[in-house]
Amino acid sequence: MKGKLRDILLINAVAVLLGLFVSGLMILLLKKNPLEAFGLLFTSMVRDRYTIGDIFVKATPLMFTALAFAFTYKANLFNIGAQGQFYIGALVAVSVSLRFPQKWALLLVLVLVVLSSGLWGAAIGYAKAKFKANEFLISMMSTYVALALMNYLLRTRLLETKGEYPQTDPLLESIWLPKLLAGTRLHVGFILAVVACLGIWVLLYKTALGFRIRAVGYNGEAAATSGINTGRIHIAAFFISGSLAGLAGFTEVNGVQHMLLQGFNPDIGSIGIGIAILANANPIGIIFASILFGALRVGGQIMGQRSQIPSSIIDLMQGFVMVFVIMGYFVRNELDRKRKIRKLLLEEGGVQ
Amino acid sequence: MINLLARALMMSTPLLYGSLSEVIAERTGMMVTAIEGIFLIGAWAGFVGAYQSGSLAIGILCAMGAGLMTAALYGWITIYLKQHQIVTGTAINILIAGVCSFLQRVIFGVPLVPLTVVQLKQIPIPLLHSIPFIGPILFKQNILFYLLFLLVPATYVVLYKTALGLAIRSAGENPEAVDVAGINVKRVRFLAVLFSGLMGGVAGAFYSIGYLGMFTTSIINGRGWIAFAICFLGNWNPIGALVGTIIFGLTEALAIFMQSSGGTFLPNELFIALPYILTIILTISRRSFNVPAKLGTPYEKEQ
Repeated sequence: MKGKLRDILLINAVAVLLGLFVSGLMILLLKKNPLEAFGLLFTSMVRDRYTIGDIFVKATPLMFTALAFAFTYKANLFNIGAQGQFYIGALVAVSVSLRFPQKWALLLVLVLVVLSSGLWGAAIGYAKAKFKANEFLISMMSTYVALALMNYLLRTRLLETKGEYPQTDPLLESIWLPKLLAGTRLHVGFILAVVACLGIWVLLYKTALGFRIRAVGYNGEAAATSGINTGRIHIAAFFISGSLAGLAGFTEVNGVQHMLLQGFNPDIGSIGIGIAILANANPIGIIFASILFGALRVGGQIMGQRSQIPSSIIDLMQGFVMVFVIMGYFVRNELDRKRKIRKLLLEEGGVQ
Repeated sequence: MINLLARALMMSTPLLYGSLSEVIAERTGMMVTAIEGIFLIGAWAGFVGAYQSGSLAIGILCAMGAGLMTAALYGWITIYLKQHQIVTGTAINILIAGVCSFLQRVIFGVPLVPLTVVQLKQIPIPLLHSIPFIGPILFKQNILFYLLFLLVPATYVVLYKTALGLAIRSAGENPEAVDVAGINVKRVRFLAVLFSGLMGGVAGAFYSIGYLGMFTTSIINGRGWIAFAICFLGNWNPIGALVGTIIFGLTEALAIFMQSSGGTFLPNELFIALPYILTIILTISRRSFNVPAKLGTPYEKEQ
């Protein structure tokens, strides 16, 4: 087990470095010095209090969407629709917050977001359980439906009073998530995200429900014969996954943007999947992987403003890192296989 | 009305390229989940090739090349490194989105006016295009559309009437048997993925140089996934893919019609979401799916 963890950390570190290296080569295409660019990237991240705080601000929603993917992944289900569940969460968060801007209502917002985005997700699990529908496809399609719904509401019911742009009125400050540190944008949502990661870890590895979810993921048929209602597990897993993604909407609306507008965080779902891959779907690993990606996003944004390097270099880095991490899985499996063979040989040797 | 249907069929062209090649690949057991990225890089490379050379044909060749390379990366990781198809596809899609927007900037900087190329021309087929009603719909389209008249039957014949088709179908149903017959399963799968890269590249180029005449990073916007869905809904059959594509084309036509007719009793967004809602409904309501038995499973020879 120990050797396995060492393999994961080592190989993923190499994969991240390789990803950065190849992105550096791409910077050469712009006739810029990659070393200078990376220097700028890293110094931008830690330029001041504000940027350091922003690393964790950016990591917050990513933790939620990564958890959303990882959680269903443990049940061998694919929730590619975290983006849509995020939109639903954001919609509910902004609607309730505009209606009840009092401080006490934060809890109400939280509960309603969890319920609504959870149900949006559970519907996918239900389709899987009841009709054996392909959850991958349905969750993917549900994102576009949620997006259309959001755009419609932004244009009609939720449209700002000025009626100029497709966006909502700003939220009153009383309904904002409280700040953690003065001089930064860091808000309580970050704590919520870390607690969610820890909570999901406990749920998966220390509770009966978590055991059932993993059993269904490991071998659905065997789990079913041993009396686990797999359909119910599919629905439960998708409910939890959906509500996690919805919480990203809550923290982004009430913690960062304080309003909802068109084109709101369009890639948060897919980056979450990448983070879950990097973290090997481990909830604790997701905390660190999200902070890494958060840092890349902060550094990249400032780099884009201060140099001639476009901030799309960040998407490039994220993409290369993910692809190398996946290749790393192969190396890891090979190492694991060799280790098993060695162990078998040793045991045989011992017998003789 | 005629214009609308003609436009609907034109807009379905790339979906059919995508879903036909997805059918071939999935029959070998390979979901090409990188299809969204392949469409995107096809759109980008097609535009760049056409813009730099001034020739749309070169643009389409570039699109095929870029699609091929992307598919090769996807195939290598999923077939030879045996990694998960959905996970790998997601990562590649993110990578391609980054590559396209970054390289677009490298090549063109930040242009002051949108860069455009002249789109593929409509070629009216002599005589046929003057048939009332169906003439303007079927016979006044661009070259990529006409190629489908060959491509659909060709895929059908290859898949069901040839030894190659048998190898393709068996690779997804019973790879051990294919192996015993002395055919390399991995190679069959890899070639099928490469084929879907070529076709997906063409499909992407259709959006940039065939239709819009320009490239934006949101040009594909889930259309690759629709082609992917059509393959499922068409029951992994080229004819099914054709029917599915036509249904999608008609929904799109309906959406355009409702939008342009100025009716405000139903929101625009409903029609934009219609193809996706339709996919969900069809996915749930289809009972007898003919899923290739080994779809999504890497092949490992017994040792």
